[in-house]
Amino acid sequence: MTLTLNRRTFLQATAATAAIGLPRRAFAATPLTMQAAWINDAEFAGYFLAMDKGYYAEEGLDLTYLSGGPDVIPESTIIARRADLALTTPDTTIRAISEQGAKFKIIGAQYQKNPIGIVSLKKNPINTPSDLVGKTVAVPPVNTVTVEALLSLNGIDRSAVNIVPYAYDPTPLVSGEIDASLDFTTNVPYTISRLGEEAQSFLLYDHGVTLFNDTVVVTEETLASKRAELVAWLRASRRGWDENLADPSVYPPQWEETWFKGTGRTIDNEVFFNTAQKDLIVAPDGIFSMSEDAIAKSLEALRAVGINGTREMFDTTLLEEI
Amino acid sequence: MTGRTGFLRSRTLLNLAILLLVWEIVGRMDWIAGGALPGLSEILVRLWIDRADYPGHVGATVYASVMGFLIGNVVAVGAGILFVLFPTLLRLTRGFNIAVFALPPIAIAPILVLTLSGMAPRVTLAALGVYFVTMSATVVGLSQFDTRAADVVRAYGGKDWLVMKLVRLRGAVPDILSGLRIAAPNAVLGAILAEFGGGGRWGLGTYLLGSLGRGEPARLWGIGLVATLIAGLSYLVFAVISARTLGSTRSVTLNTAIPGVGDGTAKPLPLRMAIFAGAALLPFVLWWAFIKLTGVPDLIAKTPFGVVDYLFLSDTSPAAREKLLAALAQTLPITAVGMIAGLSFAFLLAISARMFPGFIKTFMPVALVTQTMPLVALTPLLVLILGRGTSVTLWITISVTFFPAFVLLVQGIQRVPQSVLDLPRAYGASAWQELRMVSIPAALPYLFAATRLTVPRALLGVMIAEWLATGTGLGNLLNQSRGYLDYGMIWTVAAVSVCLSVAFYYAILFVERRTLTHLGMQTVE
Repeated sequence: MTLTLNRRTFLQATAATAAIGLPRRAFAATPLTMQAAWINDAEFAGYFLAMDKGYYAEEGLDLTYLSGGPDVIPESTIIARRADLALTTPDTTIRAISEQGAKFKIIGAQYQKNPIGIVSLKKNPINTPSDLVGKTVAVPPVNTVTVEALLSLNGIDRSAVNIVPYAYDPTPLVSGEIDASLDFTTNVPYTISRLGEEAQSFLLYDHGVTLFNDTVVVTEETLASKRAELVAWLRASRRGWDENLADPSVYPPQWEETWFKGTGRTIDNEVFFNTAQKDLIVAPDGIFSMSEDAIAKSLEALRAVGINGTREMFDTTLLEEI
Repeated sequence: MTGRTGFLRSRTLLNLAILLLVWEIVGRMDWIAGGALPGLSEILVRLWIDRADYPGHVGATVYASVMGFLIGNVVAVGAGILFVLFPTLLRLTRGFNIAVFALPPIAIAPILVLTLSGMAPRVTLAALGVYFVTMSATVVGLSQFDTRAADVVRAYGGKDWLVMKLVRLRGAVPDILSGLRIAAPNAVLGAILAEFGGGGRWGLGTYLLGSLGRGEPARLWGIGLVATLIAGLSYLVFAVISARTLGSTRSVTLNTAIPGVGDGTAKPLPLRMAIFAGAALLPFVLWWAFIKLTGVPDLIAKTPFGVVDYLFLSDTSPAAREKLLAALAQTLPITAVGMIAGLSFAFLLAISARMFPGFIKTFMPVALVTQTMPLVALTPLLVLILGRGTSVTLWITISVTFFPAFVLLVQGIQRVPQSVLDLPRAYGASAWQELRMVSIPAALPYLFAATRLTVPRALLGVMIAEWLATGTGLGNLLNQSRGYLDYGMIWTVAAVSVCLSVAFYYAILFVERRTLTHLGMQTVE
């Protein structure tokens, strides 16, 4: 009995696959896979928009979008060839190139200024890195590198600050169990205000950690073999971001039933996020651009914590081709 | 008799109602940790508001759990039967089995996410959570059979496989079922853990991750309760099946035959040494083979040689060793304490289950919640109540360790044949005396088996606490290393934690063998 059933379902499945499979091949769009850095939220709004409006398809790309998560190390995904490009934290990427000999190139940067900052409560404010002395700060273990950079660049002894793990929940901060947490300043202040407190925050960027974030990283191999597709991806993504940031409150509500369905986050939160990140993304030479000055600043900040990056790790020539 | 059970049942329901009422009041009044524990009604209201979100997430979690549960259990029961038929095979794969059990899921989840795609990491983690429990239960069930029934089969000319079919497999059914009972929540937890880290779009773990940033305990508890419901239902299914089959397979009288030593004649020393060496080497060979088969590049995936190179041969080795040793010095002492605490807790519960069945029936739902409530969701609450010191580590460790040990111990106490219990009862012994003089000594093999089960979990519990709350030791080192893309350290921590667990396991096995042989009892595998 199971055999007949199997055969029937098998035949149906075969027919269905053929029906779906054929027209797709007729388009002959080049497949390209990107690995995002986190779950679906406003951080990736530009890509959602470009996918919805078919900007990638117009560029001849068949884009597969992979969401991230705490266990997903974006760099690992491109090393394992499960994605062509990844959005990464530049300090991690550059350390991997310089210390482990990973063959990466940074071809663009979504955030000109890293949105990561120290978030505290207004009633117990932490306004500068030196305020951290003697305080308890919750930091996601993967971001310890970045906080160590902040402390070292501001001449603060690592042992003077009590660093505990941060599990992405602002409850301990609001209840006063910790004094501050390391998080996206574009995101968590919204939650804190909803919980009846006012947030106080500063960007790490404004205190010497002059880094990009969500750097667009590829392997040298991909750069050589898929250069045209990568330029096309940058062009379509820039279009998506430009349109999304023109009025940051427009698109997030439209994705309530699609990109943001069931993420556990609210649309109001995404609008807040999208609005707050605008100034950190927009660049005079266009979104994703990496000016010589900004690259030099990144390298300088990293050198202060013993990460030796070089100008060769960045490839700005693709941006020029957009 | 019906009157007594009816009374018990109503008492249990009453206790449960009181418990829920207390929870509701405590939650509503925000008495615990400034409202971090929400009232039951607040959770239910939140669940109702979020009802549209759940079907997709529940569907994904159930799919991954069921697939993992099926695959893990088929492999586990098959392996269990093979191990009993060919005891050498069990010895040869013991290192591997313990290694599978002791693999810290927080360390292998990223590796699975990297090497497999789509649902596969979730299914694999669920299957890994199931395998050891069911495999052990199968072996226990197949080894603890009534030798008299086997003698009957042999007397009529039956060979080993016929004994297996007619006596051992039938006798093993209750054990396998009790294994499946513990395995079911494990599968759900494994799937949720992989979802939490793995970056998919659907699954309760993904939902939990997105919800963490809201600072809304009612949502987190809602997700936890749904996870508990799924796990609880699966547990219940096997508990019911188990209750229906147990009566028919339990011995009515006591077997007074002294068990044979091992499987007949002792093997010559060189052979035993070879098997031991094989058992120690096999996990490393399989580790190496896994990496070669998946074809993951060397930079990410370290073979055993890669780890040796990382720890001893490269320029950065001294620094890496120093970090590792410092972390071990923080983790190991608390693991030992945590293991004892978890085991004592399980033992007390098992005795209570015998003495106050009503209490334990009330407690079981609470115990199940602690097993299936994702610890990440509970951490803010635990940290707010217990701080970030030793006590939070101990409680997390107890919650991770006590349940399997408890189930095994209850089983050990329950399996004491009626005729043995009749003796103290005939002499008017109190329930305590009966427990102390008969049930507990008779359950000694199960206490040892529970200890062996607890050791690797204690290390895991401590590592989870370090990861989520204290930021020290191996658990923190593992996560920090991800930020440094220090793959060598990630593999090293995983390997070291597994090796430690296996070493503890053997230490307990050694003590167990001596004690039980001395008392003329069989070892429970």
